[in-house]
Amino acid sequence: MDRVKTGIVGLDTMLNGGFLPARPYVVSGPTGSGKTVLAAHFLLEGLRLQEPCLLVTLDEPPIEVKANMATFGWNMDRLKILDATPDVRAHKRQRSVIDVGTSLDVRDMEDVTDIRQSSQVRALEVTVHSVQKMIKQEFSQHLERTKQRYKRIAVDSMTALKMFSMEGQDSRILIQSFLRFLAELEATTLIVSERLDRRKLETEFFLGRGEIRMHKWIDGSMIRRALSIEKFRGSAFDDKMHPVTIGDKGMVVALDPPSQIRGTSPEGKPGESLLETRLIDEVSNVIESVMRQIEEAHRRQIPIRDVEVALSRAMLAFQRRNYQKAMKIALACNSQLRERIAEAPPPPPVGMPPRPPVIR
Amino acid sequence: MRTGIAGLDKMLHGGFVPGRPYIVSGPPGAGKTILAMQFLREGLEGGERCLFVCLEEPPNELKINMRAFRWNLDDLDVLDANSDIRRFEPTPLLEISTEEEPAKMRSIGERIRKTPDFESKEVSVHSLQQLLKTLLVKKHYERVVIDSITALRYFCMREFEEAVTTQSFMRYLAESKVTSLLTVELPDEAEVLAESFLARGEVRLHKLRDETGIKRFVSVEKYKGSSHDDAVYSFDITNAGIVINMTPRAPVAS
Repeated sequence: MDRVKTGIVGLDTMLNGGFLPARPYVVSGPTGSGKTVLAAHFLLEGLRLQEPCLLVTLDEPPIEVKANMATFGWNMDRLKILDATPDVRAHKRQRSVIDVGTSLDVRDMEDVTDIRQSSQVRALEVTVHSVQKMIKQEFSQHLERTKQRYKRIAVDSMTALKMFSMEGQDSRILIQSFLRFLAELEATTLIVSERLDRRKLETEFFLGRGEIRMHKWIDGSMIRRALSIEKFRGSAFDDKMHPVTIGDKGMVVALDPPSQIRGTSPEGKPGESLLETRLIDEVSNVIESVMRQIEEAHRRQIPIRDVEVALSRAMLAFQRRNYQKAMKIALACNSQLRERIAEAPPPPPVGMPPRPPVIR
Repeated sequence: MRTGIAGLDKMLHGGFVPGRPYIVSGPPGAGKTILAMQFLREGLEGGERCLFVCLEEPPNELKINMRAFRWNLDDLDVLDANSDIRRFEPTPLLEISTEEEPAKMRSIGERIRKTPDFESKEVSVHSLQQLLKTLLVKKHYERVVIDSITALRYFCMREFEEAVTTQSFMRYLAESKVTSLLTVELPDEAEVLAESFLARGEVRLHKLRDETGIKRFVSVEKYKGSSHDDAVYSFDITNAGIVINMTPRAPVAS
């Protein structure tokens, strides 16, 4: 049977050639372990083979996805992006971006006319539903326009989708239905999901036909990454854990020698990467401090909208590995916030119990 | 009743006691479905009537997945109990009948069944039970596999009555006198599940990772009405299915 290649050389070998077509798969791992990069590779490979590919983004707005991918120098112009981020922002219209902000609005209007939708419970459920509807709509419109079916779909991320759907009663069924929906599209789907609790069995992990797990840990002063296949239905696979490097050209899985995972001596250019790690640490420390102060400011209702905007600019620079610039902006944010919090009236005293109502 | 896996029969001191529900548990990717399929294949070879109830993957994928083992499963009855894509109209109806006949493995196609445009079937535990009742009377199955009871629990019942409903379903299987094997999905760090209390025996598959890759182990956690082997054995998934290495290994933490 034909295999669907991921475009990552080592990984395709591990998968015995690639995924089995028309099935949903899961990529799991902690934040920053490379899940999104893996998904992007998968889509890039599809584009290279002239296959129609769709990215459903729920975490990052398309403009950021585009910026992040540009750092690898990939040309993903032909990639269709379905913007399903919860905040509908006014991005500039781009050729390859389907602006569903508007169509989602239409959905919402439709839902408003339906009296049954008025309760809050329904409204929450509609959000997962509307993502599904948007994908379906795009799928059939694409088929009509180009007479081609989407071959590859990536959903980034399931964790975000779960947060839309309510915690509890229906969420498992909603995920089951969503995976069934993806399977019936007969496209090979990659679902990005963070494993939040190892003691809990998340629905997509046992319904997915396979799981690629990303690992990330700190070894001395280096962030190390590795990848393993935990499950792959209907195929033999390489069950070893292999080291992963994310460089200028994207993700590379090193198949030999596997002992590298446990090795303590950093390979490649130790000086440079060590410096980079320190810079990353420093910048993230400043950003963290800024975020703490933003929280504080929100609590005390100090207007800091401009600082938030500046911070997101810093984050963008950070993601583009422009650490100097990120540092500069983040430090400016930090001092601004300190000033404003100092100027603001003191917070209301805490710990005072509410006065009992006076009974006359 | 033999399980179809030589090593497991030895561990169970001969096999399962017929007419009772058993559980095979393990994390995703441990080999539960393969073990269950070997159990059915053993039955088919002895001319028994066997039923596989799919709740996790569509039958077309199951068929493709099992092709690598080159087992003759043509006469296996497969019941597709996967719920359709949910319709988001407010239908509080949970007792939707599936009204589906099992299909012979040989007649299963390459492509997935599509949800019809105007109605979708949501499988409830009640309707599945009704359906099994009718089927068992009509077809006299000797072996039934339900893959998985976790999916049944997650997708076919209401959360607040899960424990009670699962119990009732297991009770129903015990009363129906069919030898059934139910698969249970475990999280990486497992807790004790209600199903384990209710089954007459549990075969647990363990999946451990070390530098050389995934190591798989099998243990018999409990077996009512028979003696069994307490040791933990390693096993491999080969082209011929699950093969247990009969040299005992140190017990693994579960």
